Amino acid sequence: MTLTADQPATTAPARKVVMNRAIREALDWELANDPAVFLMGEDLGKFGGVYGTATGFFDKYGEDRVRDTPISEAGFMAAAAGAAMSGMKPIVELMFIDFMGVCLDPIYNFIAKHAVHTGGKQDMPVLIMAGIGGGYCDASQHSQTLFATFAHLPGLKVVAPTTAYDARGTLHAAMRDPGPVLYLMHKELLGLGLWGTMPEASSNVSDAYFEVPLGKAFVRREGTDITLVGLASMTHVASRVAKTLEGEGYSAEVIDLCSVVPLDRKTVIDSVRKTKRLVVIDEDYRTCGVAGEVIASVVEEIGTELIAPPQRVAFLDTPIPFARPLEKFARPDEDKLLKAAMRTLKHA
Amino acid sequence: MTDIIIAADAWDEDIEGSLLTWIYPDGAEVKAGDVIAEITVEKLQVDITAPGDGVLSHAINEGDLVSKGGKIGALA
Repeated sequence: MTLTADQPATTAPARKVVMNRAIREALDWELANDPAVFLMGEDLGKFGGVYGTATGFFDKYGEDRVRDTPISEAGFMAAAAGAAMSGMKPIVELMFIDFMGVCLDPIYNFIAKHAVHTGGKQDMPVLIMAGIGGGYCDASQHSQTLFATFAHLPGLKVVAPTTAYDARGTLHAAMRDPGPVLYLMHKELLGLGLWGTMPEASSNVSDAYFEVPLGKAFVRREGTDITLVGLASMTHVASRVAKTLEGEGYSAEVIDLCSVVPLDRKTVIDSVRKTKRLVVIDEDYRTCGVAGEVIASVVEEIGTELIAPPQRVAFLDTPIPFARPLEKFARPDEDKLLKAAMRTLKHA
Repeated sequence: MTDIIIAADAWDEDIEGSLLTWIYPDGAEVKAGDVIAEITVEKLQVDITAPGDGVLSHAINEGDLVSKGGKIGALA
């Protein structure tokens, strides 16, 4: 199969779409263009997926290619590994990343390590999709992001797109990758009212094939006084804070990591070399997290050039509370990021 | 001028939804059958398609509440 990135049609008016539509269109393209691709997951078939990412696929592609599974994550994740070894390209939806505990062995010990176990002779083209993130009172087992958990053990690529455009482009890039990719969908970004919807996540996306590279961070806003680094919905939080800072007379640069693995350290270091101040906002737990990794990566290279200590704004080290005021207290948000940014900017 | 009306049976229960997104901007030329807007009703997303060819005008904003049978825009 030869693939070329279609240029977005110039005659059609630009469409603004929500993220779950962009994902659905990407999956539709993959199913239509590659007979080795199939989907599997809980409520993914007849129901179309809890995130609406597979609506209509069961009737369009049939039950062999759009498979409802029992509530048996260990079973279907291991089946995906076997299918990939046999030449298929499985796309598996693990409804909530929080459920990874019941299928961690196939993910970590088989899917992530297979290329190394076979001396690089066999690919493992599995795409694992999962919903992440909280902020809507779903408590400790349905609100986590767990970026660092999957960033820590080598073998998986990990991507968490911020906009509908990136969601479509990174999904196609992940499907062209010979290795396994964990594709994280923040519930706040998908366009489902139930989980709250950040309007910034909707973007212009042509209904044509294109790729957004994995392992590349994006500068969402240019600035000179401070670098704010975000991931998934926290990127939009950082952009909102950058606007507030502009009103205070400060110019903030906003970087969207987009991929957790590979982590694009260079884009962050290049930015901080210019601004000399750094705050990272991360919805995952604070200790041993991606925010700490980003800060360490910058300090290792250019630590002596910083004019203020870098700051982390991350989830408190506690199981995510159910009660709305407690979740709000523990979760990073605009107020907490603004305070950390001001502390950094006013550091003498 | 053709009004863009939410179908009376667009969703089952007699509850309000909200306009999630205008897929095409005010003033865009659309064709019959294009999905032009999305409405969210609790866990459902409902596509609104253009009833004909024409230039789209928005009668409501994203985030506004909508009801079955309600007008959301027009085609000229």
